[in-house]
Amino acid sequence: MTRCWLALLESPATDATAQARAYEADGSPAGWLAAWRQHVKPARAARRVDDRLVDVDGGPGWVSLVLPPDGARLPFDDLAVQQARRRVLAEPPQDALSTLMRDASHFEGAITVARGMGVARLNDDPFARIFPARILRIGAGVLGAAAAPAGPVIERYGSANPWPWDRFDTRAP
Amino acid sequence: MTIDLSPGRPFPDIELDDHAGNRRRLAVLVGGDPVVLQFFRGWWCPKEQAFFRRLIALQDEAEVAYSRIVSVSVDTPAVSAAFRAGLGARWTFLSDTDRTAQAELGLRETTDTLNDPYLPAVFTLFPDLTIHRAYDGYWFWGRPTTEELRRDMREISTAVRADWAAPAA
Repeated sequence: MTRCWLALLESPATDATAQARAYEADGSPAGWLAAWRQHVKPARAARRVDDRLVDVDGGPGWVSLVLPPDGARLPFDDLAVQQARRRVLAEPPQDALSTLMRDASHFEGAITVARGMGVARLNDDPFARIFPARILRIGAGVLGAAAAPAGPVIERYGSANPWPWDRFDTRAP
Repeated sequence: MTIDLSPGRPFPDIELDDHAGNRRRLAVLVGGDPVVLQFFRGWWCPKEQAFFRRLIALQDEAEVAYSRIVSVSVDTPAVSAAFRAGLGARWTFLSDTDRTAQAELGLRETTDTLNDPYLPAVFTLFPDLTIHRAYDGYWFWGRPTTEELRRDMREISTAVRADWAAPAA
């Protein structure tokens, strides 16, 4: 798995792999959702993300972006985070999702991508029971679609990988 | 010609719709993990309901043990989704509504001409889809117990996890 980062920025990044404008549900601007495929952390606000979520050819969509309040973070193994992962597996799949992380041990948010019929279900994002969620409309060119996790595994495949990335890396780090 | 589904043989990489209607290939669902692959008659069968209670009991272990479960029937995706939700299952159900994989695998239960279902069968597979053990569940006692499934998952994990012997200092 390549290292991939995601951040919601106030202005476009100069070096992003992919990015698109973000809008609040009422249509007002919410900044730019940017993604980078690189080893080094590209921006202060950037968090690691499952890179299957990022697609420069992806169409527009809606996201539930869950981020912890400033200064708050939760162990990835916290029971609330475990239960949110179970709920994701139990419910109908969305277009793509990933937990967000900055280190190997803490849950620092999640992003769920929806299109079509799935958009209405973003209001019931299991991860939004942990930290506040923003429902945003994202332009084309940054978010793709990925197959739903096979289940029932809720563990990360190595602590450096965001869930639901679903296999141990065989390449040397 | 019937495919040989004996231990040591490769299980065919079948491709079917999942409970949400998305096309899924078995090899992708398995990823790099041991898997319990279950073929079942349908939601209506009491024997299947009893066996699913075993799998549900195993689910809480599988979710932290890097092991997967896949269930296959001829039920439609909508029926599979409803059955899955009712069971509380958090793994993928596949729907072979046109029975193409059933014919390819030779797993049609010929004694049920009303439902034309899958023959109840369970296979434990290596990540490369090699069959570890095969269980004929036509008679209920032919199905694996949770202890047998734990044993199979352990045996496969022992073989495929390079660090099974824990690195320690």
